[in-house]
Amino acid sequence: MLSRIADSLFWLNRYLERSEGMLRLMRTNYVLSLDKGPSDMNNWKPLLQIYSGLSANEQQQLQQSNQKVIGYLLMNADNANSFQMNLNRARENARGMQDHITKEVWEQVNHLYHIVNSKNTVEQLNGTDQLPTIEYLLKNCLLYTGIADSTMPRGMSWCFMNLGKYLERCLLTIELLDKYYANIDYNFESEKDILYWRSLLFSVSGYEFHLKNYRNTDTNFNVAHQIIFNEQFPYSIFYCLTRIKKYVETIIDENKVKDKNILIKEFGRIYSNVEFTDLDWIKKTGMSVYLQTSRYNLLQFTNTLSQTFFSYS
Amino acid sequence: MTVQEMLSSYIQGNTWDEMMVNNQVRPQYQPLFNALANMPVSEIAQKNRQASELFMNQGITFTVYSDNEGIERIFPFDIIPRIITSTEWEQIENGIKQRLKALNLFLKDIYHEQHILKDKIIPSWLIASCPHFTREVFGINVPHDLYVHISGIDLIRGEDGKFYVLEDNLRTPSGVSYMLENREVTKRIFPEMVTKSQVRMINNYPLLLHSILLSLSPRHVKTPNVVILTPGIFNSAYYEHTFLARQMGIQLVEGRDLVVNNHKVFMKTTGGLQQVDVIYRRVDDEFLDPITFKADSILGIPGLISAYRKGNVAIVNAVGTGVADDKAVYAYVPEMIKYYLNETPILPNVPTYSLIDPKNQEYVFKNINNMVIKGTNQSGGYGMLMGNNTNEEEVALFRKKVQENPREFIAQPIVKLSTVPCFIDGKIQARHVDLRPYALCGPSGIEIVPGGLTRVALKKDSLVVNSSQGGGSKDTWIID
Repeated sequence: MLSRIADSLFWLNRYLERSEGMLRLMRTNYVLSLDKGPSDMNNWKPLLQIYSGLSANEQQQLQQSNQKVIGYLLMNADNANSFQMNLNRARENARGMQDHITKEVWEQVNHLYHIVNSKNTVEQLNGTDQLPTIEYLLKNCLLYTGIADSTMPRGMSWCFMNLGKYLERCLLTIELLDKYYANIDYNFESEKDILYWRSLLFSVSGYEFHLKNYRNTDTNFNVAHQIIFNEQFPYSIFYCLTRIKKYVETIIDENKVKDKNILIKEFGRIYSNVEFTDLDWIKKTGMSVYLQTSRYNLLQFTNTLSQTFFSYS
Repeated sequence: MTVQEMLSSYIQGNTWDEMMVNNQVRPQYQPLFNALANMPVSEIAQKNRQASELFMNQGITFTVYSDNEGIERIFPFDIIPRIITSTEWEQIENGIKQRLKALNLFLKDIYHEQHILKDKIIPSWLIASCPHFTREVFGINVPHDLYVHISGIDLIRGEDGKFYVLEDNLRTPSGVSYMLENREVTKRIFPEMVTKSQVRMINNYPLLLHSILLSLSPRHVKTPNVVILTPGIFNSAYYEHTFLARQMGIQLVEGRDLVVNNHKVFMKTTGGLQQVDVIYRRVDDEFLDPITFKADSILGIPGLISAYRKGNVAIVNAVGTGVADDKAVYAYVPEMIKYYLNETPILPNVPTYSLIDPKNQEYVFKNINNMVIKGTNQSGGYGMLMGNNTNEEEVALFRKKVQENPREFIAQPIVKLSTVPCFIDGKIQARHVDLRPYALCGPSGIEIVPGGLTRVALKKDSLVVNSSQGGGSKDTWIID
């Protein structure tokens, strides 16, 4: 496979995963913002911190109106990380390799692009139809995932696409977890109940999962367990890493990579940092350090990955 | 829509109309005519909308830039198919085959012994002054002596109903994906009509092209590496490049994906370098290799021409074919057919005046109202003057340009293109069309899929069909 194509496949899915994550976060926040709740995390702060480069002051100003925040995050051309920009980039990647994705996948990316860039959508967002619009976009992002899953052949293309998807998802999960724990000073003993964690769990589609699987009330502890270690939860760090492991191994095997040892070792370190760790250990050594190291290692690994497979120009 | 309604809006000019003659519907159009007459206008309009949506959703669009914002437009498509009978088609087919045979012989000759110049059939100065005569490829041998593998010769139909060759597109003609997609869309919106009319099949074009590309490989290996070279996503024909790559199952590459090492071409893959055998390039000659041609081009591959010279890679179409579709050289194609094949041309040229001769210049400007002046190396409907639709200032401007540089212009009498029915503003109306069939030359002969791209001037009475000048396209049916 051409290096350029591998690069485009990887980034197509990274951008779409990023966009989907953003929409889910946005929906959660929007819905929760309608209640005057006890929690200070039911606001746009974490979202703006992750998806905008604005100063704390500017964030504060923007937050005064839901409509403004949503407009800024979704459609603002000055915001390099807006949903619209991400989708434009995703489509550009898809356009440059239409012959490597299925017609169905291309048509869905193209469809999403046309929705975002239509006048109609802008009008709805300026009006009162914000939530339905966010949900419509989210549904179409999910549709993309489904279409890709049921039409893409399980070859090299699929591996690079999923590498992008799960790397992005893993990074977002770490980022979110960090924001919510930073807010309680990484203190597992602080008094936070499910109402505090609700918005995080909704943002990763894990609220019901949590209620079903964690019975005791040590919520600070349980949420960390679900989001770092739970192997059945598709947004957990461990789940993402397990998937990445599979695709990295296939890609290395099929491409006869020269310096494969570097890649394997780098990934091995990240993986064992979850596989052979537990929450007691994290408590002892500090959640903040743990999350930071994980993020740093993952970004390092992404660099090596792109040097090995994507360098073409 | 009743028959009266259909006919009332259908006004034919004094030209050849392909549907009507003496107020009677020609037999080949009768079934289509009846089907339309039995359809309410709302239904036709509905099908029209459906067709646009199909094009939009598949991303068959080109981008128009204005106010820093790219707007996606579809290439306008008229839903009423154009019909050509098999007898008419047979003549077109034979004519194009004959012409391409002669043009390939001409290109071989002009880049080797140049007999045609020595025998004074074509003046040497004409070739020497042609910007697309590429001295850099002189003496290079190409596989099977084939230069033009893919061509899109433009035909028009005059007032007499005869087909004429308007121009030979021998470099990187585009539009074949529209021919194929138009048919797919027609099948969706008029399924019954297509089956009933027994329209000849065209969708094997990519397979034919693929087998020709494979047969050109210089390396004798089981599966040669064939690639399409595209300038990238900003090229207006980019959709077509991906379409062809996908239909043939071959790699679509950009210049930056390729590298030349030791006079061989390789592509950069996730598993290292892989040798490339055949390049179907959609990049113009002068951008192919910055070492040989334009030094500042980033679309090409440094060293490509050296690999080509060594015979390690086949380039399709060959480099330098532009010399044969220069509009001044076009005038000599009938002589080429006579010289190389000893045959008379089956498809005539449109009469062409060289403007180097002052007498011709005088004649042309005296009769400017019936003349069109074209730049010899311009395409897409740019750089030309339609004498029937102009003003004195423009004529004066062209006169000056022609006097300064007579070699760069030719003149032709304006041919009133034939008209066909189109669905415009809820009515059936007559519009002018041309026809571009796509021919493929391989080692085992020339193949033309029965059909082509019919381009239509959507503006009333306009004779310019180019998409950049408000043209659209139609599906083209060859029926027995």
